[in-house]
Amino acid sequence: MSLLEVRSLSKNFRGLAAISDVTFAIAEGTITSIIGPNGAGKSTMFNLITGYLAPTAGEVRFKERRITGLATNRIAELGIARAFQIARPFRDLSVFDNVRIGALFGKAGPRDVEATTWRAMELASIAPLAELPASALTVGQLRHLEVARAIATRADLLLADEPCAGLNPTETAAMIDVLRQVRSNGVTVVLVEHDMPSVMEVSDRLLVLDAGRLIADGPPSVVANDPKVIAAYLGTPDAA
Amino acid sequence: MKRNPKLIAAVVALAVVLLAAGPTFLPPFYVRVGQLMLYSAGLGLAWAILGGFAGYASFGHSAFIGIGAFTAGLVESQYSTLPPPLLLPLGLAAGALSCAILSAVIAYPILRLRGTFFAIAMLGVSHVGAEVTNNIDFFQGAMGLNFPPLAPAGMDPASFFYELFLAGALLTLLISWLIRRSRFGAGLLSIREDEDTARMLGVPTERYKRVAFVVSAVLTGLMGVIYAHSLGYITTDSVYRDDTNLSLIVYSLLGGMGTLFGPVIGAGLLVFITQVILGRLLDFHLFATGLLLVLLILMAPGGVNGLLNRKRRSA
Repeated sequence: MSLLEVRSLSKNFRGLAAISDVTFAIAEGTITSIIGPNGAGKSTMFNLITGYLAPTAGEVRFKERRITGLATNRIAELGIARAFQIARPFRDLSVFDNVRIGALFGKAGPRDVEATTWRAMELASIAPLAELPASALTVGQLRHLEVARAIATRADLLLADEPCAGLNPTETAAMIDVLRQVRSNGVTVVLVEHDMPSVMEVSDRLLVLDAGRLIADGPPSVVANDPKVIAAYLGTPDAA
Repeated sequence: MKRNPKLIAAVVALAVVLLAAGPTFLPPFYVRVGQLMLYSAGLGLAWAILGGFAGYASFGHSAFIGIGAFTAGLVESQYSTLPPPLLLPLGLAAGALSCAILSAVIAYPILRLRGTFFAIAMLGVSHVGAEVTNNIDFFQGAMGLNFPPLAPAGMDPASFFYELFLAGALLTLLISWLIRRSRFGAGLLSIREDEDTARMLGVPTERYKRVAFVVSAVLTGLMGVIYAHSLGYITTDSVYRDDTNLSLIVYSLLGGMGTLFGPVIGAGLLVFITQVILGRLLDFHLFATGLLLVLLILMAPGGVNGLLNRKRRSA
């Protein structure tokens, strides 16, 4: 069964078509990466799914229910969580309190708040940092905090926006490990990612956006050799 | 630091008893100072439910003092034949209700504004309230409204209002404490920290802001009703005051923004300084308040609470 369905979704900013007629479905329990050059519409896609932006046309369905038009907090309650590329921690709160907000809201509701908070922190391997103020964390740790806070909402779908951007190889490996852990805990993951080695390693499937259109969809090994994808990234040989 | 709930309960009970017994041993001047401290603390706490917890700093909360006071005055004058013990609850209920309705209505447009824009819009609300009260005869803001004397026979009115202000401040403190430890309170904190992220995590930010706004307005209105009675006679200028608008922010800044006891500490300190230390220099006191504020922001941006926490951490 498809957990998330995007149907003929379009978004125009004035004249610019950021997303044009994109359709895809995400199966439960998978890790899917959305890739594409800068400005391809990847972050816009996340903004449309979470209700932060309203689409010009088309709809998004989650668990077979139309979520287009719902308030962002309602969509979170249904089980979609997002980890931002530029980490947005609650800076004055401790790591524990940050994650606790996730556990108090989202789909979690106020049940077993303490236990949920600890489980999410352990999953994202930041439990030892619980007492620290979020403002004391490194960039890499903040990304883990983003994931922990999102997971604490008991989301069924995690949208992670470039979780590996700007991380060194060790931190990247740790993040990939966390994403795998998240998936094996029954959470479906959709990534927007630039770091191709990590994308190839972790994804079951790639979706390639270019100038707002879906130009390829399939297993990483197939998509990476698709001439259309290579052209989107490198330009066509005879275009010069 | 270990916290012993029984010990805390005992300390709180002792503090309340001592506070309530204040008028029996304090000289009259200090009963008046105490009155003002308790009134200010109650207002500061009510302001902080929205301004401190949710980060929506209002620069116009005297609007609700005015709305509460004038509604109570107008309603009580319609029922002036009722015995005084019934009149005050009637006035409190009417003041609270009008603040609740008005704040619930203006919450929709005004809470779309953030930061400075919200603060200035609230200043506008308090000025519009003052103009309406002053210029529409029905409200009698220019002529003034009388309030019936309420203090029971044989009781000093100053002591009577001291106790009423104490009750109001304690009620507001209790509500703040309950909010602070609730899911609602955690949601308000997340709004203060980053509203968009809070919404993304499922915090019903719009509803929470509205509820905090209404609760804050109602509690401010209740303090305003008591204040109006303590004055006995009010005009527009005695309740819609810009120095009150300013003070409410200063209490939290001084005591510690967003902390439970911050507004209490700030109100106590500021009232003590302006009334007791600078009491002889009335013309001087706004200047001194300004100076104090500048020094404080330079030296202790986290307020007294922040200062104490820093000491504790470095110790």
